[in-house]
Amino acid sequence: MTETTPAERAASLERELHEHGHVDPEAIDASIAEAESAEGNYPSPALGARVVARAWLDPQFRQGLLTNAVETLSEYVPQGVPISVLENTPKVHHVIVCTLCSCYPSGLLGNPPTWYKSFEYRSRVVREPRAVLAEFGLEIEPDVALRVHDSTAEQRYLVLPLRPAGTEGWDEGRLATVVTRNSMIGTGRPLAPGAGNGRQPDA
Amino acid sequence: MTTTNPAEKALKGQPADRRVLAPRVASRHRSGAVWDHLGVDGVHDMGGMHGFGRVPVEVDEPLFHEPWEGRVWAMWSAIGATTVDRFRFTIEQMPPATYLASGYYERWLWAIERLAAEQGLLTSSDRPPATARPSPALVAGEGWFRPGDSVRVRNAVTEGHTRVPRYLRLHIGQVERIACAWPNPGDSAATGRYGPPELVYTVAFDGGDLFGPHADHTLTADLAESDLEQP
Repeated sequence: MTETTPAERAASLERELHEHGHVDPEAIDASIAEAESAEGNYPSPALGARVVARAWLDPQFRQGLLTNAVETLSEYVPQGVPISVLENTPKVHHVIVCTLCSCYPSGLLGNPPTWYKSFEYRSRVVREPRAVLAEFGLEIEPDVALRVHDSTAEQRYLVLPLRPAGTEGWDEGRLATVVTRNSMIGTGRPLAPGAGNGRQPDA
Repeated sequence: MTTTNPAEKALKGQPADRRVLAPRVASRHRSGAVWDHLGVDGVHDMGGMHGFGRVPVEVDEPLFHEPWEGRVWAMWSAIGATTVDRFRFTIEQMPPATYLASGYYERWLWAIERLAAEQGLLTSSDRPPATARPSPALVAGEGWFRPGDSVRVRNAVTEGHTRVPRYLRLHIGQVERIACAWPNPGDSAATGRYGPPELVYTVAFDGGDLFGPHADHTLTADLAESDLEQP
């Protein structure tokens, strides 16, 4: 029988691997469920948001992130690959991409969004980053240096966004609610206080 | 706003293309011939290409759009006797038209089918020992280059695997720092094993030099020592 759809091919592959004892369908169910619920310290944008919020509050933690992110993040997640944290300032804005495939700080943020893996983003953000960021609603002032990081090796990057004004006195949990996934990639800013509804936006 | 990848949309409009491609692909992986050609100057090397249009952003997208995507993602762990570089290199062997017409997890599926066949997992219960990932710890010692050095990217023309994007070939940049140490990706892709680590440098390039005077940004990439030379 000819397999035509990816779903059929995936099912056939899983069946053959299972017949020979190389995968356990129940374990696959469990891995998917674990990734979809992403509880506790399972890598997810919410986990990244906690790290960013703590860096905004704790100068020592922030310094550790900037100088030795692998060790500093080890209390959250074991890093299978090196990770480095890029700090945005009023004069420098960072954005990350992987033009060759889909390299992303998955060890902290989980799987990348589809747009990050899209041909459009991969081809264009290295060439015309200001135009691409404008499409995301992010206007970078001409006097702000824009740095695009192509993840061409096993080094992964996390952007530490600027803390928004109006969040003075907030605790870590409340600060985390304004940290968006895109702000940790560099295609967005954290939410302005009052703009969010406490939900963690994905885009 | 919800949009989908135009390539996926195009594919949905042309189911005949998929029917033509799928049996050929399936019979090839069943026959055990993993790849019918080698080469790395592929369509995957997209940095700087024109013509792809606006970035499609789906708000609140699910982790997996269809159940099979999650199952393919999870099956990656079954093909442990390989390196991440060989996995990438396998995806890079997709015919360009198929690559462009395939979604992300379809490209994973394509590679896992081939690597499972290569490791004998579709015909035998024997399982080759898993390849251990190296530690991310930096190696001690100094490399050929120092922060501030000018370096030229070697013209990495190869039929094997490279992590040097085409848009950087022969361009001159400045070393910013040592990023990490990692086995050579070309070797890891060819052998399915990790060799000794090599220093990887973060190198900064002038956007205008790469893409013309309208580009005022800085571009950094992480490049292995063996991909760099003195200008």
